[in-house]
Amino acid sequence: MGGATAALDLDAELMLRVKEGDGASFGVLLDKHRSSVVHFLFRMVQNHAVAEELAQEVFLRVYRSRNTYEPTAKFTTWLFRIATHLALNSLRDGKNERLQERLDDDSNDMPVRQVRDSRPSVEQSMVYQVRLDEVRQAISALPEKQRAAVLMHKYEEMEYSQIARVLSCSESAVKSLLFRAYETLRARLAHMA
Amino acid sequence: MNCPLHDRETAAQLLGYCARKLDSESQAILERHIAVCPECRKFADGQRAVWEALEAWQAEPVSADFDRRLYRRIEEDGSWWDRLVRPLRPLVRHWNVAASAAGVFVLLAAGLLLNQPPAVPEAAKDTAQVEQVQPEQVEHALDTMDMLADFNRQVKASADAKM
Repeated sequence: MGGATAALDLDAELMLRVKEGDGASFGVLLDKHRSSVVHFLFRMVQNHAVAEELAQEVFLRVYRSRNTYEPTAKFTTWLFRIATHLALNSLRDGKNERLQERLDDDSNDMPVRQVRDSRPSVEQSMVYQVRLDEVRQAISALPEKQRAAVLMHKYEEMEYSQIARVLSCSESAVKSLLFRAYETLRARLAHMA
Repeated sequence: MNCPLHDRETAAQLLGYCARKLDSESQAILERHIAVCPECRKFADGQRAVWEALEAWQAEPVSADFDRRLYRRIEEDGSWWDRLVRPLRPLVRHWNVAASAAGVFVLLAAGLLLNQPPAVPEAAKDTAQVEQVQPEQVEHALDTMDMLADFNRQVKASADAKM
């Protein structure tokens, strides 16, 4: 444990302060990781309301576990392990679809696709929308673990070793997951170049 | 260099190359290989297209009331969660003491179980143990008893004569 403590990342130090009762440190961790967790979950379940609900559960679990927290791994590994676990459960439960049905009437909660050009033409918007739908469909067609691996690799810029720890598998299994996932994505999205 | 595509382990290097995650030396080596390997060039072009397509997928910002909702949940959760966990908290804090105590308890229990006297077999039930006795056996037993009685009488008579 001594070695691990010496190499503590800042997040783990903050979490140890939370363990000692420092609520402000929890606020710092929340500020730092809120967006990445919500965005990861959004891309996993492809529903913003469900993603935020799951992200709330992630941070609630982090807070609940403060008394037993031990910095045995990087804080983000632990954080994304909780997030991935909840996302996979949600996908398997089909909770996503059920909540979606309830939210159908409330268009404010539906994902708003951001368009980089502040004033795109109608045609540009439509083209963008079509391309985005293709990307979303290609990602959602991936098997769950491949999807999680791609999202962590692409958007969270995690190393293979960290993805392996999050998914509780070997580094070579992650490489294999990613290779197969990108192979599928290339077949579906290569024409978008 | 050998074509990295022929091995899934080394193909991961190509993914790294397309994501610009390799160090400059490895990046340059792969670049030289890709220039002469049509298979890898096709892979890299396709991968770059995927990368760009994924980059276009921007997630929407987090709701402004996310933290407020979270802290409210933490507060609500704390009220029942604390009640549930409070009795166990000393054990969690001093888990090593609790674990040692549990270990000692398990050892004692195991010791008591192993040192118990051998189990006494259940008393035989009369009704279940009635043996079947044949008439010949009874007759033989009575003859033996008569013979022993005669023997006793003879021994006593000879003893009286000597006196």
